Order: sequence, then structure tokens, then C-alpha cells
Amino acid sequence: MPTITFSLKDLQNLVGKKLSIEEVETYAHYGKGDLESYTQETDEIKIDFGDTNLPYLWSVEGFARLVRLILGKQKGIPVLQVNKSDYTIQVDSSVLKVRPFIDAFVAKGRSVDDYMIKQIVQLQEKLCDNYGRRRQKVAIGVYQCHKINFPVHYTATSPESVKFTPLDFKKEMTQQEILEDHPKGKEFSWILEGHTKYPLLLDHEHTVLSFPPIINSEETGRVKEGDSELFIEVTGIDDGAVHLAANIMAQALFERGFSIYEVVIAYPTKEIHTPLLFNDTIKMDSNQVRSVLGLELSSAETKKLLAKAGYNLKGDTVIIPPYRKDILHFVDVIEDIAIMYDYNKIPTKPLENYTIGSTFPLIKIIDRCRELLIGLGYQEMMSPILTNVHTMNRKMIREDSKTLEILNYMSETYSAVRSWLIPLLLDTLSKNKHRDYPQKIFEQGLISLKNKGGIADQERLAVITIHETANYTEMRQLLDYIMKMLKLEYTIEELEHPSFIRGRSGKVIVKDKEVALLGEIHPQVIRNFNLELPAVACELNISELSKELI
Amino acid sequence: MEKKKIIEQLHPLERKVLPLLDKFTFLEELISHSGLKDVEVMRALQWLENKKIIQLRENPKNMVSLDKNGLEYLKKGLPEKRFLDVLKDHTLTLGQLSQKSGLSTEELNACLGSLRKKAAILITKEKNELVVKPLPPASKLREKGFLEEKLLHKTFPLEADSLLPEEKYALDMLKDRKGILKIELKKSRQAELTALGKELIRQGVQMGNVIDRLTPQMLRDESWKGKSFRHYDVSINVPQITGAKKQLYRRYLDDVRSKFLSLGFMEMSGPLVETDFWDMDALFMPQFHSARDIHSAYYIKEPSYGEVDNALLKKVKAAHENGFATGSKGWQYSFDSKQTRRLLLRTQGTALSARMLASESLKIPGKYFAIARCFRPDVVDATHAVDFNQVEGIVVEEGLDFRHLKGLLQLFAEEFAETDQIKITPAYFPFTEPSAELHAKHPELGWIELGGSGIFRPELVKPLLGKHMSVLAWGIGIDRLAMFKLGLNDIRQLFSQDLNLLREAKVL
Repeated sequence: MPTITFSLKDLQNLVGKKLSIEEVETYAHYGKGDLESYTQETDEIKIDFGDTNLPYLWSVEGFARLVRLILGKQKGIPVLQVNKSDYTIQVDSSVLKVRPFIDAFVAKGRSVDDYMIKQIVQLQEKLCDNYGRRRQKVAIGVYQCHKINFPVHYTATSPESVKFTPLDFKKEMTQQEILEDHPKGKEFSWILEGHTKYPLLLDHEHTVLSFPPIINSEETGRVKEGDSELFIEVTGIDDGAVHLAANIMAQALFERGFSIYEVVIAYPTKEIHTPLLFNDTIKMDSNQVRSVLGLELSSAETKKLLAKAGYNLKGDTVIIPPYRKDILHFVDVIEDIAIMYDYNKIPTKPLENYTIGSTFPLIKIIDRCRELLIGLGYQEMMSPILTNVHTMNRKMIREDSKTLEILNYMSETYSAVRSWLIPLLLDTLSKNKHRDYPQKIFEQGLISLKNKGGIADQERLAVITIHETANYTEMRQLLDYIMKMLKLEYTIEELEHPSFIRGRSGKVIVKDKEVALLGEIHPQVIRNFNLELPAVACELNISELSKELI
Repeated sequence: MEKKKIIEQLHPLERKVLPLLDKFTFLEELISHSGLKDVEVMRALQWLENKKIIQLRENPKNMVSLDKNGLEYLKKGLPEKRFLDVLKDHTLTLGQLSQKSGLSTEELNACLGSLRKKAAILITKEKNELVVKPLPPASKLREKGFLEEKLLHKTFPLEADSLLPEEKYALDMLKDRKGILKIELKKSRQAELTALGKELIRQGVQMGNVIDRLTPQMLRDESWKGKSFRHYDVSINVPQITGAKKQLYRRYLDDVRSKFLSLGFMEMSGPLVETDFWDMDALFMPQFHSARDIHSAYYIKEPSYGEVDNALLKKVKAAHENGFATGSKGWQYSFDSKQTRRLLLRTQGTALSARMLASESLKIPGKYFAIARCFRPDVVDATHAVDFNQVEGIVVEEGLDFRHLKGLLQLFAEEFAETDQIKITPAYFPFTEPSAELHAKHPELGWIELGGSGIFRPELVKPLLGKHMSVLAWGIGIDRLAMFKLGLNDIRQLFSQDLNLLREAKVL
């Protein structure tokens, strides 16, 4: 979730009103944001915006616009005046296969200071990183306009053919060298994987502006304090996203006091003027407002709320501002109406239909088993479902191919799904060596494992006891008791399992189905868990066993 | 307390020890005269002291006993005596003395030092060899014996402070020599009667008609009749015991389940390992959404793809691509039908709600809940777990709107945070519109974020349910709530392996 930083004073200037920090917090909620912090000494506010589909809020200018709308200082779609110009970008057909879309504009008339540069960079970075999917979908470059000789050329070149000095470097490099040696090149080279030609932006004098979406040139691509003419370009692989990002940047700079000049984009087969102020529309549906919100709103009220949310209403057509592309369905507009109406003012109505609560028969069997074990003096445990193959198999000296492993784990500790519970109980015992013995514990819970080409979950119940004279008989008695209480007939056959002592372990059969195993834990296993006393355990497959009961 | 009552409550051990205190005060004496074990006497003394009947004192004493060499010299005689017995009135070299006496070099050196101090010998050096010649006190020593040797013949252990002056002299001479005597600081316990204690003894503590323990025999022969029972001090502290019980977090989740059942909710369940389809695609989260990054879910190594119903997949694909005739334009991208079958560990309980909506067993009107274990990659610390529970659910009914959603949230605040003070703020969830977050003012904890909610998007409902309907969806951050309720400050303690913590955990 993008967090933006700005000064309260700046926000107040942009809004045109003094604001308390409590008010800022409330207005942040309107934008689905949370006030993260306010530092009085530096006057610095941090807001975390939750909605990844509302990138226009990721700048102080965008947030100020929202506040102006809430306060009624702005109604409906705000103005964005775009001046005509001759600035042109010639798009070469070679780039269409790599990164086909570009928008651009020029902003003039204000001299930027350090704070303003930071704000521009902040919006640029949030748009590229989050909305632009780490620059793949959208990347933005900002340049000193006076150094550029128009028309600019957007083309694709072979990686070794052009040399220029990238930002923060002192020597000229080819595009290939940049991808291999420049920190930004290394970070973003994945975007160009598989391409034989790389995008390049250069001016009419063949001065390189940038290598989109990787890096600007040191020559033109660095904005300095005092600059008052900026050239801004947006490239990408999704034209809608490119237009949106350009519009958001242009709207923010316009509201900052810049004059915005269009740039003509000359594609091989067409020509467009950007920023392209598309105004998407959606049909007004009062019935749906009523049915979703339960509010009876007059058309005047609705119109007022729409204007407050930054929409224009023309007849029964809702016009969406050019800095938004998140309206897929009319419910998206309805939410904005509800937010501007204020969620807390919408009446509350209890659910009236009578329904009967119910759970699964399996839950009952599980709870009965837990009750029995607690009655026998066994303490219940609860462990994470994530574990590792080392605990599941290696420490249990068994080979197993059924344990599910995680492809992209972050820590070895949590790199597999538990495929049985006894190892987790042994692990618990190993953490309690200094506590009184005998120790008796159990756990009931889900496991998951590979099963006939697919995956199967099972509810399991594992029991273990450890003390000087722990033996098979003790666990067999426990098992007998549980099976008797569940009214289940069963037989026990000798089990060969490396985790148990041979000749002292068995499998429990109910109607030809194996439903449990029990036995004295193998001494090597006991040592693997750094334990020093004999232990005996059993594990029941409740899912299997319950088939006889439900 | 009344003296009579005190006497009635005396334990049999106390009854045995107390009368002895008239004559004896030392623990050792009490042990030997009572015929009880030392722990029993100690216990009785402590109880008596607690009741202010006696006062216990600990006197530190230097206790002397014979060490290994001391025991040997007791049999063979002290080295210096043996030395003089060999020397008699001859003049001998050290070599001769060593040979004849059989003393070790160390012992010889000790003899030389000790005897020279007593002026019993003269040591000179001739031709590089030490020569020893007896002086007059030597014969006297041989006649009368050594004070040191007399000390060895005393009964040990003995108290250093109780020795006579000449014995003390002998002790000083021997204490630094190797392995003869052991001197240890010992605390000897001494009990003294208080005024109350003396009074009690005067009254007599033996009560013939008091029963200490009710035996089966007494019950059979009715000999308990007409007798009274020794009174216990019922307020006294007793040793702790612990019992087995439900795991604290599991008990909390049990309570959550019964709460939902009592509110008329039906439980849902589903697999731990889900497909992308149910976990996210069916929830109308676009495949390019940032929550879909490889870092946001645990994918399964093998098998890596699962099964998805084809008819359902087609509808969900259409919803993503063009809105599936819901009035939505959809996300307008080309849906990847292979990626949707990737297997991952469930990241959100909402997957179960999606399955329920598509299920034939769905009841309308119906209220549903699930306690779902979910998984998300993260760095584990006090506030982040990779393996956590979500309580999620839906309410499906014709004609539900945002007011009912608020009603539902109000109910949750009352049931789970014991408050009717709530704040509802706008929120973002990919699958609901409108979306709302519930904050509740807990009586003890102040404002807390209880959970998220909203009305499912039409693009989600129609493909799964087959028609449009308002479906209220909600989720409660149950782990955090459980931590509050259970008084834990580290999320890892919910799965604590510490038996002590589990044994000490309270049940209310």
C-alpha cells in the first residue's frame, strides 16, 4: 500500500484552508487512507492509501483535490487546461514491438524548489512502482525541457549501438552495459528480457534523453532546483495505463500552478495529442443506488453527492474524471456516493431472516476425542501447519514423498506443509525438557499431503507421552479406550515404520481401512529431538475413522 | 487464636516434637529423641514456628572432624611420635630417619617443623646432609605424649569453640597440615519455646480422643463416634497442582464457533491448498493485481497445478475480461486459464465464501462463517505470522443493502468487542463494493480495528451463483482479537510450545 509524505503547510496551501491534524485524518478515510504519522517539528504528514486502484491520491496535490471536493471548494471534475504546442515525439515502428505506448507533456511557469522536486519524484515513483507494476506497465521520465531539441524520437535500437552517460554515472555506456552494470539496469532488466532491441528516447540532435523504462541520461534527465520548464514522458505496454499516469501527473502539476502544454505523438499510422483527457462515462442508475445503499436520494441530492465525489452528471450520464480508471461497474460510483454521504450517517438495519446455525458432524467427533484426552490428563497443543521436511521426515528417520513442499518459501523453518502431527509433538517435548515429567500432550488438527496425483487434507489426532517407563501398553490402553468410547471395532496389525521401535508398533484397522498407528518412538528419533526419555505415541486419522461414524 | 484451637489443629508430628522441646533444643537431639526422620522434625518445627509456638535459630559453628590422614594417624600414631621413636637419643641423618621410620618426605618435613618449634630437636648440616639430634624436650614428649595426638583421640565431630585451651593449641598446630583435620562451618538449628509454646506444653498437647486420619477400619467399627477430628488450618497454603486442559487459543476458537452457531450461521470448510482460481480469480481479483505477486502467496512445488471446473472457469474468465454481462466492463485483459490452476496455500478465508456461493448446498436466505487457517509469506515476528486464522463469512439474501451490512457489523461489535460504539470507515477490498472497515470501542482496549466487510461485486456473484444477488461479506481479524482477550503480546504465543504457559493459562 503506497505511503505518501508531505507537509501540512503545503496541504493547507493547496486546499486553501487551515486544517487540524484530526481533520486530515478524517479526510484520509474518505480516500481509504490511514494517517500514519504527523511530526510536528518537521510538519511532516504520512498517509497510507489502501486502494491500489486510486493512484491519483498518491500525491499531495491529489489528496488536496479530494479535500477541496469534500469541503465544497471544488465541485465535479476539476479543470485541466492544456495549451496547444508544436512539441512532437516521432514514434519509430521499431519500438512498437518492445514498449509501444508513449504520452508526454511540458509543464512551464513555476520554478521548482527542493520540496517540489521531492513531491514530483514521489508521485512518479509510486505510479511506476505500484500502479506501473515495477515500471513494466508504466514508467515515467522527467527532464529539463530547455536542453531538448524537438522533435524527440522514440525508437528501439540494438543494445550495443548507442552510448550515453546514464544518471549518477560519469562514463558513457551502451544499453547492454547499463543492464549489466548500472544498479537500475540490474534492478529492471527483467522487463526487457527476450527483446533484441531496447527502447531509446533521443532528441533531434541525437542527444539521448533516456533508456525507458530503465534510466534517464545524466545530460537532460536530472531536474535541478530553479528549473521552470519540465518535459515529462510516460511509456508503457498498456495504452490506458499510460494515458492515466500522464493525466495524473499533468493534473497534479497543473494544480501546483504550472501551465501544461501538449505534446503531439506521431505514431507511424496515427497522431494523438497528449495528455489525452478521455472522459469515460457510465449510465446513472438511481434504482441501483437505492437497492445497494438503502437510501432514498432525490436527484438533486444525488447530483450534489456525485459532484462532491468529483464526477460530472450530464442528463443521466455520469462523467468520470480523466485521472480515474477504476470505475468498472456502477457499484464503484455508488461507493463514492456512499462515502460522500458518510457511511456513519447511513441507517443501520438488523438482519431479519431466521436461520439455523450448524456445523459439520466431524466437528462433534473431533470435540469428543479432545474431551476424552483431556480427561486422561493430556494437555492440548496447537501448532503451525507450516513446518519443514527436516522435522517431518529426516528427524523421524523416514523416507517420504507425500509431504507438500513450498516452492517460494522465505524461511526454511516454514517450507513445507505438515503431513503428520507426531513430529510436532516431539518438537514441543524438546522445548520442555526442564519441566516436570511425565509429560502428556496431544494435538488435533489438519494435515495435508499428496494423494493419488492430487492433494488431500485430513483431520488428525496425535497423542504422545514421555517418561521413564513410557511403553506400548500405555498407548494401547489409551487407544482401546478412545475406540471403545467411539463404539468402533478394530484390529491391530504389526507395523513396520522407521520412526518406531520394530516389534513395538502397530497399525489400527477398521473395516480393512488403516485409521491409526501407534508405537514406541525409535531411540534414534528420540535423540534427534534431543530428548532423553522413552516416548510412546499414536496418531489417528479422524477423517478416515469418521466415515464409519457419520 | 485460642490456645484450645491451636492444640486441636496440631499435626501428629507437631504433637510428637513439641513436648520434647521442654528438654531439648537442638535439631539433632530432637531427631534422636523423637524417633522421627529429620525432614519430619524439620517440617514440624517450621509449622510450630509459623504458629509462633517456637522460635527457630540457626547457629553457625565450626565443626571439626578427622580427615583421611587423621584417621590413619589415629591408628599408627602421629608422624612426629614415630619420628622420635626412631630417633631415640641417637644422632641420625635425615636419610637414616626416613628409611627407619617409613615416613614420606612430606611427613618428614612436617615433623622437622613441628619438633623444631617445640625445641625437641637440633638440625645441623654435615657433608651436604641434614643431621638430626634430639634435645631434652624430646624424651619428655616421648613419655607424656603429644597434645596433638590426644586431640585425635577425642570423639568427632566436635565443635571448635568448645575445646579446652590445650586442645585449641593442638588444633592450631594440626589444622594447616595436609589431610589431618576437616573444619567445616555448619549451621545447627535450635528451637526455643515462646511464651505461648511453654503455655501449650503446660496445658498438654496430647489429646487421646482426637482422630488424625479417618480410616476404613474406623468407618467399619464406628470407632470415630464420640471423638473429634484434628482441626486443620484450612487457610494454609498447599502445594500447587495443574491439570490438562484445552489449548488456550483453540478454546478461544471453540468459543467463536459456538458464538456463530448461536447467531444462526452455518460453518463452511475448504482445502488448505487452493487453486489461484478459488483463492483470487473467483473473487474478481485481476491476475495482474499486486496482491498476486509471487511474494504474496506460498505456491506448492509439486503438484503445481490443480483442477478447476471448466464451466465455472469460463464464466469467471468472462467476468475478468468483459464483465460477464453484469453491466461491468471487466478488467479488460486476457485471462490466463493455466495460471488459474496453480496450487497455493490459501491466503484468505474469502476463498471459502466463493466456494459456498458456487455450491449446490447454498441456502438462501443463509448466513455462513468459516474459521480458516490462511498462509502468507512474511518475516515472522511478534506481530506477523505466516500461518494465521481468519474468520470470514457471507450473508446471502434477497434485498440486502448497506444498512444490513451496518446492522451485521453492529452485531459483531456487540458480540466480539462487547460494545455498541462503532465507527465505519471506507476501505478497499478487491472483491467488495462498497467496502467498509469496522472499528469498535472496546471497554478496556479503546478503539480497535475489528474487521473488514462489504457487498460482493456483481462480477463475483453472478458467475458463481448464476444470478445477481446482494451478498454481504465480512471478515474478522480473529488472531489479534484473541491476543487481546488472552492477554498475549506476541502472536507466536497463540501456537505456544511452552507447557508452562499452557498450564498457567486461565480459562476465563
